[in-house]
Amino acid sequence: MRHLSDGTLRRIYDEPLALTAADQAHFDECPDCKPRFDAIANDARATAALLRVPSFEPQARAGLSVVQARITREETARPPRWYERWLDRKSPRWRPMATPAIAVVLAAVLLTGLGVSGVAQSLIRVFEPRQLQAVQVSPSDFAQAGAPLDYGDVKWLPEPPKLQQLTDAAAAQAQSGLPVLRPASLPKGVSGPVSYGVVSHATGSLTFDAARLQASAARAGVKVNAMPSSIDGSTLVVNGGPALIEVWGLGSTAETMNVPTLVIAQTRVPTVDSTGAGTAQLEDYLLSQPGVPPELAAQVKAIKDPSTTLPIPIPKGLATTESTQVNGTPAVLIKAVLGAGVVWVKNGVIYAVGGQLTPDQVLAIATSLH
Amino acid sequence: MLQMQAWRPTVTPAALGAINHRVPDPFERLFLQEYQKVVAIAYRVLADRTAAEDVAQEVFLKFHRSHSPDSERASGWLHSAAVHSALNVIRGERRRAQREIAHALDPARPAIASPERVVEEAEQRREVRRALRRLPERTAAVLMLRHSGLSYAEVATALGIKVGNVGTLLRRAEEALRKEVNRATPE
Repeated sequence: MRHLSDGTLRRIYDEPLALTAADQAHFDECPDCKPRFDAIANDARATAALLRVPSFEPQARAGLSVVQARITREETARPPRWYERWLDRKSPRWRPMATPAIAVVLAAVLLTGLGVSGVAQSLIRVFEPRQLQAVQVSPSDFAQAGAPLDYGDVKWLPEPPKLQQLTDAAAAQAQSGLPVLRPASLPKGVSGPVSYGVVSHATGSLTFDAARLQASAARAGVKVNAMPSSIDGSTLVVNGGPALIEVWGLGSTAETMNVPTLVIAQTRVPTVDSTGAGTAQLEDYLLSQPGVPPELAAQVKAIKDPSTTLPIPIPKGLATTESTQVNGTPAVLIKAVLGAGVVWVKNGVIYAVGGQLTPDQVLAIATSLH
Repeated sequence: MLQMQAWRPTVTPAALGAINHRVPDPFERLFLQEYQKVVAIAYRVLADRTAAEDVAQEVFLKFHRSHSPDSERASGWLHSAAVHSALNVIRGERRRAQREIAHALDPARPAIASPERVVEEAEQRREVRRALRRLPERTAAVLMLRHSGLSYAEVATALGIKVGNVGTLLRRAEEALRKEVNRATPE
């Protein structure tokens, strides 16, 4: 059995749909390739963080005016002679780099760089979804949730996620690092223009603090279960995004502008790492907190592998779900009165397609994305 | 979480063109199609908006002088020129430090936590650019092309390599960059 190369694993981090059927079958079964993929994905994330720049959407029209003015000036002046040298630098200086296993170092540098020094060595991955499961929620369960409790110190490293709205596909792709996906064809009733939303990648940490929780519970007049000593003081590091959302059919009149006809969304799977407490401990503790409806807690607890399953909340009575497949990948099909949606996770990216469409239309779009 | 209420209709250049009923010439069409991408590549290398737009405009001017906008290799040429030109700028330039901090502290920018954080971020970006300068040209190029959002096919076209090799080069480039950054900042 031939394993997937580092290059192939690196590519599917960026372009999960590029994998051939044979490679996908190997990847799904292979106990060696998955951890290698995880390490490569971590390196890619760390590099993306290093190379991150503040957002910027240049104005092409303004740029064009500048360049056209210069072209006009140049055409009336002398012909230039020095230009080709400037760009023809085909220097074959590439040499293969030694490839020490630096995944651990990368993670450590990223975390120290972000201000959580010293914890990298003891991090354990407590959550990295590879599959999805629908859980029913009643919106009314959350309506009466009281003041939020203070579980400890929250830090954004370096800043909370931001939503940017863009009109240009290339800019959306550049900002998110995710490929802009297009359906092979659009169903009747769906038309442009397409708007893009990009949510930046963000890393946040929460350091549990039993004393602070007790104090905030006392202030809010709520009774909370004592925080186990294994959780008190441990830090959760949450990685989320980037996400890219494509929206069709936002009309220009006041009545239609908030009702998109088709939405295609993708986001890298969120991950949660913990410096101390494990998945089971955290789940038991967090689900027993005030404000979590017992029915929801029971559904989440029934999930067989909580560290790799992402629960999808479905409003009870307003939508139903069923299992389906998108090009061989298990998916959750959501049917509601006003439309339908399908969600699946593949090679570290969560995809969702939905809109004012029939379930068949939604599935046809999902399977044709490229 | 995305809030639909936050969406507002916007006028795109394409829509404006349609309103004007004017057929753009081939260079104009190419410019409008590729400008964002060319700036994004230069900006990812330089971390400086003005410098990135300067490089992008130079690249289009050079293209205009020597190539046909109808050429099917136009996009690859522009992307390649953008990354190499921007890398040339960081290799040659030493006076960017003050400008970056001045830019970062520009009151017109959206509010950020603290001036210390801004200076720290600018310092980190500068450190990464110092590391980039030390990488072989093609290593830095594959890294910046991909991280500015180009697809693997586009990176392959720009660098004249097979698409199947992009992942391998990129993986090595990421390791090389991290090694350079680690070497400069032990601990």
